[in-house]
Amino acid sequence: MADPTKPRASFAPWDRRELPGSFSVEETARRVGNYKWAETKLFEVLGGWIATVPELDIKLRLGTHCYKHAWHAELWHKRLPELREMNPARLTVPANDALVRFVDAMTEPEDASLTIEKLVGVYRVYIPHFISAYTYHLNNTSEITDMPTIRSLKFILQDEFEDWRDGEMLIQSLLETPDHVDRAAAHQAKLEKLMLEAGGIAGHGSIGINTQAPQGALS
Amino acid sequence: MKKFMPVEELARDERFNQITQADRMADGRNALIGEAEKSRKSNRLTPARPDASEAARALMHGIFVGEIQALEGAGRTCWDFTTGEEAPFELKLDMARQAWDEARHVEISLKLSDWMGSEIGQYAENTVLFQAACSNDPVLRLAGVNRALEGLAIDVFTTMKEFGEIAGDPYLEFCEDWMLADEVTHVKMGSDWLRKITENDPERRKKALEFQGIVDKMFSYGGSRSDSEESSFAIARRFRELAGFTEDENDHIADLGMQALNERKAQLREKQAAVTN
Repeated sequence: MADPTKPRASFAPWDRRELPGSFSVEETARRVGNYKWAETKLFEVLGGWIATVPELDIKLRLGTHCYKHAWHAELWHKRLPELREMNPARLTVPANDALVRFVDAMTEPEDASLTIEKLVGVYRVYIPHFISAYTYHLNNTSEITDMPTIRSLKFILQDEFEDWRDGEMLIQSLLETPDHVDRAAAHQAKLEKLMLEAGGIAGHGSIGINTQAPQGALS
Repeated sequence: MKKFMPVEELARDERFNQITQADRMADGRNALIGEAEKSRKSNRLTPARPDASEAARALMHGIFVGEIQALEGAGRTCWDFTTGEEAPFELKLDMARQAWDEARHVEISLKLSDWMGSEIGQYAENTVLFQAACSNDPVLRLAGVNRALEGLAIDVFTTMKEFGEIAGDPYLEFCEDWMLADEVTHVKMGSDWLRKITENDPERRKKALEFQGIVDKMFSYGGSRSDSEESSFAIARRFRELAGFTEDENDHIADLGMQALNERKAQLREKQAAVTN
């Protein structure tokens, strides 16, 4: 029987978590607010598009994905007060005006013949930018002080990867002619240029490039 | 993408054949009463009916297209209203959840239709359900869709579940029971939001309940749902109560159903007389 009075190390030998992180409470709240805005825009447009796509399998996927992104928005909404933002609406804002222009362009396709453009905008541009911003955040935040954000990021990233794969496979199944490929590529390039201007879903610095260490960071 | 999509623009592939409620009610074939119907003591959908297989397949197709429209309606509520200004964030989260649920219901209906031996497009798609989801006021939309339409779904799924039970079809019974659980949740969402949003606005609540009454009567499909044995579906009172309907509200829906049934019978008599003459 183990000796209950014998002291043990506070951190088990396999627990290699580190205290330092790149983000202060304020910077984390800013990013989380941007994430919530971006996820909200995504679930809203996925919901709106359901009635506009004639392909039954895609209609159903959009319904499923609509909920997943709403749930992500809800997780970020609940995280904000824990980051000292008692009025979540205050920080639920786009990272910059360029991101608003990106979302406007992404949500523009409406006609039933534009399913390729709808899916390309979400699954070849927007969701990959979620994956990169979330991965950067996950890999750079404090593994001890910011564990609640990490837990949400891990759940959300799991969804994002699955949705990206679903969407990419749907796109591939729709590309039946060279003209379709050109349409997809042209729309992707158009949107990616807007996203370049925006710098990512949390603005410039979404993946740590083109930014200085935020004030209050401990690294 | 614009806000508020008209029902005519619902996107479908070539297998679907859409009709409106007006088309359906104007169809002269509905006025002809066959020998089987004349001799039948009850119109309830039971395996004992000679036309049970065909009626169950037609109903399942109706459920399938109804679920597609419910999916589209919930999705449009996520899009059509500005978050925070026109609809609370949490209401939209509920609608997104409902979209996922409805997508699963379409999947379930597709599998069940296949199991029952029917195909997509074998029957017409009545677009009346989406029409109820087109209101410009989110409260009216919740009253029409979540309380009236999803309330009807509770009645229909209860009937189908019983049909599966009596017919010895555990596959059908199992699936209907799961969908029924979701529908109770959706009706409760509607009941809760209706109360919450109109808490200090009795006029808006009155308007929403009036709209629900109109949709309820429309969804009674000429009396296909009431406490009468002449109706295909009964009012599933127990499940409706779980979803937030009061006894008075259930009585009111039953009355609307009887009223619709009597009106339809009068119309049928007129058409019968016209055919005879």
